[in-house]
Amino acid sequence: METAKDGEQSPSEASPPTQAGPETISEPVPLEEEGQPLYHEETIDLGGDDFASEETEPTSEGSHNFGDKLNEHMMESVLISDSPNNSEGDVGDLGCLQDVGEPPRGATDHRLPDSTDKEVVDTLSNGSETDGDDTPRDISDMTPDSRASLKEDSTQEDVPAMPALENAGTEEVGPKDSLVPREEQTSEVSSSQSSSKDEPLPVCTIFSQATSTSSQPHLFLQDGFESQMVKSPSFSSTSETSAKTPPPMVQPSPSLSTFFGDTMSSNSLASDFFDSFTTSTFISVSNPNAGSPVPEKLASLTAPVGEKSPDSTSPSYSTRMDRSESGVSRAALDVPESPKPFSQIQAVFAGSDDPFATALSMSEMDRRNDAWLPSQATREVLMSVATQQYGTVFIDKENLTMPGLKFDNIQGDAVKDLMLRFLGEKAAAKRQVLNASSVEQSFVGLKQLISCRNWRAAVDLCGRLLTAHGQGYGKSGLPTNHTTDSLQLWFVRLALLVKLGLFQNAEMEFEPFGNLDQPDLYYEYYPHVYPGRRGSMVPFSMRILHAELQQYLGNPQESLDRLHRVKTVCSKILANLEQGLAEDGGLSSVTQESRQASVQLWRSRLGRVLYSMANCLLLMKDYVLAVNAYLTVIKYYPEQEPQLLSGIGRILLQQIGDIKTAEKYFQDVEKVTQKLDGLQGKIMVLMNRAFLYLGQNNFAEAHKFFTEILRMDPTNAVANNNAAVCLLYLGKLKDSLRQLEAMVQQDPRHYLHESVLFNLTTMYELESSRSMQKKQSLLEAVASKEGDSFNTQCLKLA
Amino acid sequence: MEVNPPKQEHLLALKVMRLTKPTLFTNIPVTCEEKDLPGDLFNQLMKDDPSTVNGAEILMLGEMLTLPQNFGNIFLGETFSSYISVHNDSNQVVKDILVKADLQTSSQRLNLSASNAAVAELKPDCCIDDVIHHEVKEIGTHILVCAVSYTTQGGEKMYFRKFFKFQVLKPLDVKTKFYNAESDLSSVTDEVFLEAQIQNITTSPMFMEKVSLEPSIMYNVTELNSVNQAGECVSTFGSRGYLQPMDTRQYLYCLKPKKEFAEKAGIIKGVTVIGKLDIVWKTNLGERGRLQTSQLQRMAPGYGDVRLSLEAIPDTVNLEEPFHITCKITNCSSERTMDLVLEMCNTTSIHWCGISGRQLGKLHPSSSLCLALTLLSSVQGLQSVSGLRLTDTFLKRTYEYDDIAQVCVVSAAVEVEA
Repeated sequence: METAKDGEQSPSEASPPTQAGPETISEPVPLEEEGQPLYHEETIDLGGDDFASEETEPTSEGSHNFGDKLNEHMMESVLISDSPNNSEGDVGDLGCLQDVGEPPRGATDHRLPDSTDKEVVDTLSNGSETDGDDTPRDISDMTPDSRASLKEDSTQEDVPAMPALENAGTEEVGPKDSLVPREEQTSEVSSSQSSSKDEPLPVCTIFSQATSTSSQPHLFLQDGFESQMVKSPSFSSTSETSAKTPPPMVQPSPSLSTFFGDTMSSNSLASDFFDSFTTSTFISVSNPNAGSPVPEKLASLTAPVGEKSPDSTSPSYSTRMDRSESGVSRAALDVPESPKPFSQIQAVFAGSDDPFATALSMSEMDRRNDAWLPSQATREVLMSVATQQYGTVFIDKENLTMPGLKFDNIQGDAVKDLMLRFLGEKAAAKRQVLNASSVEQSFVGLKQLISCRNWRAAVDLCGRLLTAHGQGYGKSGLPTNHTTDSLQLWFVRLALLVKLGLFQNAEMEFEPFGNLDQPDLYYEYYPHVYPGRRGSMVPFSMRILHAELQQYLGNPQESLDRLHRVKTVCSKILANLEQGLAEDGGLSSVTQESRQASVQLWRSRLGRVLYSMANCLLLMKDYVLAVNAYLTVIKYYPEQEPQLLSGIGRILLQQIGDIKTAEKYFQDVEKVTQKLDGLQGKIMVLMNRAFLYLGQNNFAEAHKFFTEILRMDPTNAVANNNAAVCLLYLGKLKDSLRQLEAMVQQDPRHYLHESVLFNLTTMYELESSRSMQKKQSLLEAVASKEGDSFNTQCLKLA
Repeated sequence: MEVNPPKQEHLLALKVMRLTKPTLFTNIPVTCEEKDLPGDLFNQLMKDDPSTVNGAEILMLGEMLTLPQNFGNIFLGETFSSYISVHNDSNQVVKDILVKADLQTSSQRLNLSASNAAVAELKPDCCIDDVIHHEVKEIGTHILVCAVSYTTQGGEKMYFRKFFKFQVLKPLDVKTKFYNAESDLSSVTDEVFLEAQIQNITTSPMFMEKVSLEPSIMYNVTELNSVNQAGECVSTFGSRGYLQPMDTRQYLYCLKPKKEFAEKAGIIKGVTVIGKLDIVWKTNLGERGRLQTSQLQRMAPGYGDVRLSLEAIPDTVNLEEPFHITCKITNCSSERTMDLVLEMCNTTSIHWCGISGRQLGKLHPSSSLCLALTLLSSVQGLQSVSGLRLTDTFLKRTYEYDDIAQVCVVSAAVEVEA
């Protein structure tokens, strides 16, 4: 997974210079060509990658895990090289190298059609062979690493972490036997780690390796010996380069492999070196009393740094010259010498007009949608990240967002469960619904499940995709990185849980997101992944969902508070736009059309918040405030005025019983709809009159009006259902049943609604002692039409 | 209110369901923007849902009526409605079906059947339907008794009954408080103010349609719960016309004795019947409730046996100059002679002249005595005359008289100038 993250970083860095080349390109073609040149450029930017990976380590814990992983492999090789059989040690080194390097090489191979035929043939065959093997190993590798990091994090976390670890272990051991040797290797690594820590003199270890190396061929004896003795810290960058370019290593002679093996071993020392440096700095910052030891450490560190700098370029240069003599290597040599931001700026300026304009347009839309106003504390963190782009920014763990799935059980299918109980296995087997495994494991598959109402399966699929993002079950509380996609997946999963009525589950999984304002939820926090991009990753609709969830949990006051906070930000952004500023209050140079689009977007968002507030007040039964809130919503959605006025009338009628005031609002609806001259307006007026008669206990007159609506709109489900209800209150049970049954049979796809079926079921129970059979017939109808999100409680079969 | 299926030997099935008002279906709106991962999918799902409002899918309160899900609570003053259905579950014709519905309360038994006529014939899978209504007037346990008698094809007479038990609860807590206002010292009868506290002790909001006081024959009543604004009557409770659960509202009424009763001073004594409150409210979808309190009663204020009234007093007096008042002391008891002693106590502004503790001598029942008293005021402005004490030496009981009158004190200099 961490390797994949590195892969994601490279394309974004390379894309700007790619756009410089072609000027006349059709829209679909640039995407394809961008893909290929992206990875072509990756070869050139190998040096840049080195710098990037080095700088990333101190700024995020994710990279720290990557460092740990490398460290573990280093320790493993050290252990093997210490064995008496030198030849076996060499073979082991090669194996480790292949394991480390294979995933990125596979990716590179697939996207390098411009390479020479010879290289293509060799690398493609290697990639195809190793891809299958690599995937399961990578997946299994993650768990041991996460377990190790769990243990390393803190003692307090051990207690809650243990159950998760046990569950993970139990699940993994069963299906995959290959895990057993992996675990053994892990234990070996840990034992070697402990043994290495016990040793007081790391330098001695390096010396002993050098001694063993001296027995190798004389051609490299002198160079290897000298570099190890004098320039050991500098080998860290060299070894990383070699780790990322495994193909050349496979081809060289055995003596070269010995050389790289030595490099790996020295890298472990360098890793320890940098770790201790970081730790030392941290202590000095947090503990003033540690001030006196710092000068000594710094003094001791100064000498090695000084020694390293004049000689560091020499081995890199020689290595690259050996690998290739093409012009590309010269470009690679040039790139590391220039600062990263500068090279990015150059690439952007070199771009042609058309791709540049396209990129601008896209960024404009992103800026408009992603705009948000962070809190003061978050803003300060983001500014420090921006100003110390290559430095260390320490952020408390409590201020980071570390989400993970809270439950990993398959959601299942309630309809099928009922069929098993009441209709038998044969009938249940006939039910055909899509589940998380029967669709494409992507956004396309997710949309497919949502649209055919298989929302439980969609929740499962979101879980799988989030697990691939490193935020699966048991990952809550662990460091992670966020992307636009991962936030969208969380939004969809949480939204579906709310739609399914699983409010407690949604609440648990929302908890790590806090108030959706942590610094790592902003694009500015990831300048290397999203260079130049600003704003929040959190979808606006997710903020609405986060606020509304509390009212469904019985905390409407908390919902109101959260909605007010969202409203405040929307109002502030609108005020900024109307003053000619950008959304965030900064100076703006956007066009008038762009500003108008922004105003329109944020005004509609503000209206959406007010709508939620009105609904919340309705749930709180504060009808005076709710009515006023809906009247305010009309100002933002004037096209919904007749519907909202009718809704206010229904509130007064249904919730309070205030018939006179309801009648006033219904009369207002008649005035408004007279101008519309539509069928919809007339239906609304008739519906309102019917409700007035219901309020006066006049079910006969109400039934007349519902029937009149059906003459105008025979497929109106509401009028059909309501007319049937009136018949029941008039003592005509059979007629009522006939009407509802006819409606359901006529168009099951639309009329198998839980309210209609609940009414039908209730009347079945009133009608006959054979209601059980009729309810089971309804279950069969539901099974053939509805997805797994159907609320089976309305059938009263449980 | 369904119960267990009837015994298998009976050809007919009797089902009863309480008919509270239906409710409107509520939606849970979940939306997203087009840039989000689902795109327009969530919004489209809401449009396809028949229970959402066409064109306003985010509005939570829909238009779909849903039947009641349970028996619910029934309160005193509301109407109990039920659907009674007798269904022929058998495969043979049934004859001479008679359905009877009675309601047994703690004090009486009421017949609720709409018609007492027997149904001649009921074919298989047909039913007899009835909707009964009853305005509940008692609190406590109620039992709905449904009895069915019929004749089988073979001429056999069959009979069975079902009992449905439910509780009637109290919807409102009504408390009253009386205030006496004395408008005229010479008048024995006075205005009475009634404050009624009404608390909603149900679990749902109540729209208070009417809260009025029906006075007894002795009083006229004025309601003080609305204000005339721009020619329109506006409630003093604001725009919110309903009581939330456990909310309390205070209503104020002014009662005046009618003229024919006011002139008879002796009649309005002891326990007095004021009137009764009439309360009408509405709940879910216009469900109506109505209650009347029992007759409200009030103790008329008593003046005791000795009455002191003012006969004469000047309107305006000069600062620090003596002035005279005339008082009348009346023995109001019907049979007892009093031996009275008059004491005069100074206040911060009023100073009495003359001897305190003067013996007034014997006062016979229903007789009066006039006194001339002298006092002066040392403070300007409107001052109260207080500080008179009458003691009945026979019973050793003292009557205190304060604030018996007011007098305007002006300075002499001002008067001289005028």
